Amino acid sequence: MRTPAAAIAWELRQRHRWGLIAVLATILILGAIKIAVLTTQAHPELNDTTFALLVPVPLAATFLYLLAVFTFGISGDLAARESMYPPRMLTLPVSAATLAGWPMLYGCGSMTLLWFAMRIACSFPPGFEVPKYWPALFASSLLAWTQALTWMPYPFRGMRIVVSIGLLLSIDIVVFTALESKARESTMLLLLAPFVPLAYVAAVSAVGRARRGDVPDWGAAQRFAPAFSRSAALRDFRSAARAQLWFEWRQFGRSLPLLVAIVLPVGLSLLFLFRETPVIVVEIVVTSLLVPPFMAIFVAATAGKSSSNASESYGITPFLATRPVEDHALVVAKWQAALLSTFAAWVIVIVAIPVALMWSDATEPILNIARNVDGVLGRPRAIILGLLILVALAGSTWKQLVQGLYIAMSGRDWAVKGIAFATLASVTIGFLALGWILDSRQRTAVALSAIPWLMAALVALKLLLAMRVMQRGAERGLFTRTQLIFGAIAWDVCVFAVYVVLTVILPPILFRRYLLLLVAILVVPFVRLAAAPLAVARNRHR
Amino acid sequence: MTLYHSVTPHSTAAEPVIAVSDLTRRFGAREALSSVDLVIPRGGVYGLVGANGAGKTTLIRHILGLLRAEKGSVHVFGRDPVADPVGVLSRIGYLSEENDLPAWMRVDELMRYSRAFYPGWDDAYAGELRTMFALDHGAKIKTLSKGQKARAGLVIALAYRPELLVLDEPSSGLDPIVRRDILGAVLRTIADEGRTVLFSSHLLEEVEQVADHVTMIRQGKVVVSAPLKEVKDAHGGASLDEIFVERIGGG
Repeated sequence: MRTPAAAIAWELRQRHRWGLIAVLATILILGAIKIAVLTTQAHPELNDTTFALLVPVPLAATFLYLLAVFTFGISGDLAARESMYPPRMLTLPVSAATLAGWPMLYGCGSMTLLWFAMRIACSFPPGFEVPKYWPALFASSLLAWTQALTWMPYPFRGMRIVVSIGLLLSIDIVVFTALESKARESTMLLLLAPFVPLAYVAAVSAVGRARRGDVPDWGAAQRFAPAFSRSAALRDFRSAARAQLWFEWRQFGRSLPLLVAIVLPVGLSLLFLFRETPVIVVEIVVTSLLVPPFMAIFVAATAGKSSSNASESYGITPFLATRPVEDHALVVAKWQAALLSTFAAWVIVIVAIPVALMWSDATEPILNIARNVDGVLGRPRAIILGLLILVALAGSTWKQLVQGLYIAMSGRDWAVKGIAFATLASVTIGFLALGWILDSRQRTAVALSAIPWLMAALVALKLLLAMRVMQRGAERGLFTRTQLIFGAIAWDVCVFAVYVVLTVILPPILFRRYLLLLVAILVVPFVRLAAAPLAVARNRHR
Repeated sequence: MTLYHSVTPHSTAAEPVIAVSDLTRRFGAREALSSVDLVIPRGGVYGLVGANGAGKTTLIRHILGLLRAEKGSVHVFGRDPVADPVGVLSRIGYLSEENDLPAWMRVDELMRYSRAFYPGWDDAYAGELRTMFALDHGAKIKTLSKGQKARAGLVIALAYRPELLVLDEPSSGLDPIVRRDILGAVLRTIADEGRTVLFSSHLLEEVEQVADHVTMIRQGKVVVSAPLKEVKDAHGGASLDEIFVERIGGG
């Protein structure tokens, strides 16, 4: 290892060897399936169309993994202002061009290899003309720009996510517009050619700025936020719990409302362009309603951290670990901060959507839907349905923020990364199973009749896990008897409330009451929330 | 200048502040601590010395409850720091070697945040310390120098007059003048008022200057633990540096 290029390659390979082996294994498995299933027609019912459903999922998973590897962003804080380029590498005696260039080159090379491997290993629907080279350049362009944007310092927290979504979507739109116009391979290559060199220039500049510790400071935005939160901090906290809530709010709580406040106006401004097209107006409103839960997925990645430092891992810092509070108090503060965050984000949504609709004079399509629902369900049910949708979306936002805490707060980086891949694997298997079931009427009928049993089994599993978690928590002194009883009662009340709402909304002819009860039990979170204090205890007292 | 006022101690004078018994800790194949026994009674300054990687920080992390005893036991004020973090940590002031104060906080925010956790927090004393350490109350932690960060950490570790002050390599980042004047005064004052200080350091001159008792660790084992005077007398009045080289220098 006598050159910086070799050292950077060695580090990337050594650090992510198991992940890269998994990527290779995925490709080999896909290739083996292609040979075994499609070439030999061993299972003719697994046709090409069904199999094609499997292609985007592993392709997207491996693409995202490589994206995380080559941006050095696997355990970083995406919302942080500071560059996510590893600080230790910034002190190496090489130029910014070397620091930016080699990871970009390796990344682009890997993306190209990934595409050609997938092209060979995956099966595509009959008659589908598989592109030759441009997807490799497309993936490389997305990677190169993600690298540049990840390594760039920003004026305020959360801006990286907004800029990245905007820029990467723009590249996507360029590509998909060209595809819609039936552009040829050469046109696609020509169209995509400038993206990687431009990203390289941006990445070199980003690494250079990171090296100088140059984090831009946009005065007005900066001054407003600290002034708002400083006024709270300068008052004495009434209790340790209040102080910890303030800490969590400052650490991650503000990110979600900030992101929503940035993204929402951009989306809603489209109402002025498309106010004459009712379908698009409805789509814009629906998309706007989905912004908080969607953005919460990104914020959740940082919610479990005890430090806002972009390059810190998920381990609990000694500063936080030595606060004289119980383990569960650290989790409760995060739940409360997530609740505040959700509330603030939804206040923005609830105010912004009607204002934008009225301002753009695009209210009619939405009012028409309201009138139709009113006509079908009646006024009380329509109002309850509307409120239920809002509560469900707000609940989903909060759930997105907190449901991964039991993993993130365990401080095990491998668990945080592993759960993402386990989820993707489950989605893949789910797709496979669903395709296999829907291919046959008989299997579909059997599956439908098995749904209540499956749900009952899931409920039994959930209750067993809940009991185990509570037992472990009680054994380790994390929960008192009163807390356990209060928690169980609160959960029962929530389940009952969801059940009552479902019985009011859904017609009893279509859905049996016991099914609704099972749904309510499965929907209201318990195990993952109760497991978070256990995770903190493991992380805090290793 | 009086840095500490007298307060009623929570525990009896006879009860040891720290009682570590047969503590063993492994990290993979490496044994970081091996059957460590240590009893620290109330009052006095205890210096914990050893080469890098000897196990000083691991021992301190057990005392703080940040590591669970795999074998043996750790009791601080008669309590298990893992089972009762509130009961133990509310009586300990801790300055971390890692200096991991939240970078986004301002000095005044850090003080007000920390104040909420300790009923015994003394605003006047905290202000006095902040002034003495020349810390700008509006400065963000991330803009402070390493020495200033250590001072900020020291303010929040001292302002509630903890019964036990644990300093992990407190001298890191402090210039020699500040190190001699501030650290010496603080440690001595605490000890004089019946409080206990445990500090780890590899600056033996500093340990010799302030410690009443010295514990030397070598490869996870306690090789010397005795009053400093006894240790020096046993080695013919040699300096701690020389004793260290003799007992630990071999690695």
